[in-house]
Amino acid sequence: MAEVKRPREPFAPWDRRVLPGLFDVEETARRVGNYKWVETKLFETLGGWIATVPELDVKLRLGTHCYHHAWHAELFDKRLPELREMNPERLAIPPNENLVDFMEAMSEPEAPGLTIEKLVGAYRVLLPHKIAAYTYHRNGTSEVTDMPTIRMLDFVLQDEMNDWREGEMLLKSIIETDEEIERATAHQARLEKLMLAAGGIAGKGSIGNAYIDITEEK
Amino acid sequence: MRKIFPAEELARDSRFVRQSNEDRMNDPRGARVGGSTGEKLSKLTPNLPNGPDRARALMHGIFVGEIQALEGAGRTCYDFETTTDVPFAMKLDMARQCWDEARHCEISVALAEHMGTEIGEFAENTLLYQAACNPDPVLRLTGVNRALEGLAIDVFNTMKEFGSIAGDPVLEFCEDWMLADEVTHVKMGSDWLRELTLNDKERLTKALEFQKVVDRLFSFNGFRGEDDENPIQLTRRFRELAGFSDEEIDDIAQMSREAAAETVH
Repeated sequence: MAEVKRPREPFAPWDRRVLPGLFDVEETARRVGNYKWVETKLFETLGGWIATVPELDVKLRLGTHCYHHAWHAELFDKRLPELREMNPERLAIPPNENLVDFMEAMSEPEAPGLTIEKLVGAYRVLLPHKIAAYTYHRNGTSEVTDMPTIRMLDFVLQDEMNDWREGEMLLKSIIETDEEIERATAHQARLEKLMLAAGGIAGKGSIGNAYIDITEEK
Repeated sequence: MRKIFPAEELARDSRFVRQSNEDRMNDPRGARVGGSTGEKLSKLTPNLPNGPDRARALMHGIFVGEIQALEGAGRTCYDFETTTDVPFAMKLDMARQCWDEARHCEISVALAEHMGTEIGEFAENTLLYQAACNPDPVLRLTGVNRALEGLAIDVFNTMKEFGSIAGDPVLEFCEDWMLADEVTHVKMGSDWLRELTLNDKERLTKALEFQKVVDRLFSFNGFRGEDDENPIQLTRRFRELAGFSDEEIDDIAQMSREAAAETVH
């Protein structure tokens, strides 16, 4: 008969995961639904832009990135029924009308001379906001109860970081004049204002609140 | 950004040259062995007079075709509303196709360079993308994924054999990989055609008619078929894997014979 091993704890000494997290099931589903909406709008827009962009390397990168974001949308779509939302389309919605305005403004540039504006919208505004919201979610949710979302977000974030870097490098290589810098920054500022009004890709609280509320004493 | 982006506005840099399909097909340097009227057509092999040059021209044609296939798949992601116009899963397939076509552009431009061609050496026409502008997603998918991607199966298999006979392992290797993707794309077209027309016989009939129109365009002058004189050989085995019935493949072969006969008379 084999010798019985000494009992061990269920959590190894180096495993410091804790049960509580910032989000309950409903809030997680709401956020994941918003993420699916954003990823869907993004992959549709990148797909639409391919035909409008004359720069060959940009055209091919948009095709590749289009699929990355479609895959993210698919992952979030599959997660929703696991969060008790049996009709994923019901929650695949924007958090507010301001984000709809942002998406419309981001996808608006069409002319072949507007590659800078297209890349700025996707890679200097939307992707950084997505990375921020996904990182906040990934770091704040329960590492035990919501590990499936964390694993999903880790895959998604890996793509987002790579695509962000590629998009930024394309922009840096395309911008060659002071006037183009001004075009890029003006478009970025316009879109950032719309995103600020939306509060981020999941609305107000997309990346929490870093400020301390202080009640002034009279 | 508009829905339905017109073919004449496809964005290109200054190296690309656009021509009508007729002008392009009549380019004596073109991929059709027997470039001008009256010359005898023949299967594309390295042993033919100017065979390697014809293959170079075909590779350039593949490259610009892949760009348009990429643009068409991208537009299908954008032009239709999810759930009301097309299912979410169909759009995911189109996005996947974007990635595949982007890789095919990379492969074919590298192969074209490997074969001694540069971008713009041959002209481009926008016939392929025009099929991807159909406002009905079912017709668009049938025209692009079944007719044109079906043609791509035939072209890649012909080029793979060309590479094998020529002793070019790079060409053979790459064409085989692209062939695998194309079978997947054609199968996507076959599967979505079946699913989206399940209870709509009229739409199914219209879609198959549209496919025939596109197939006929690309059977121009007997360019593709299964007889010895067809430069591009119809590939039965891979088409079967992609959801084509024997009857459908017979129809395409017959269409090519008719197209060749019309040109002779």
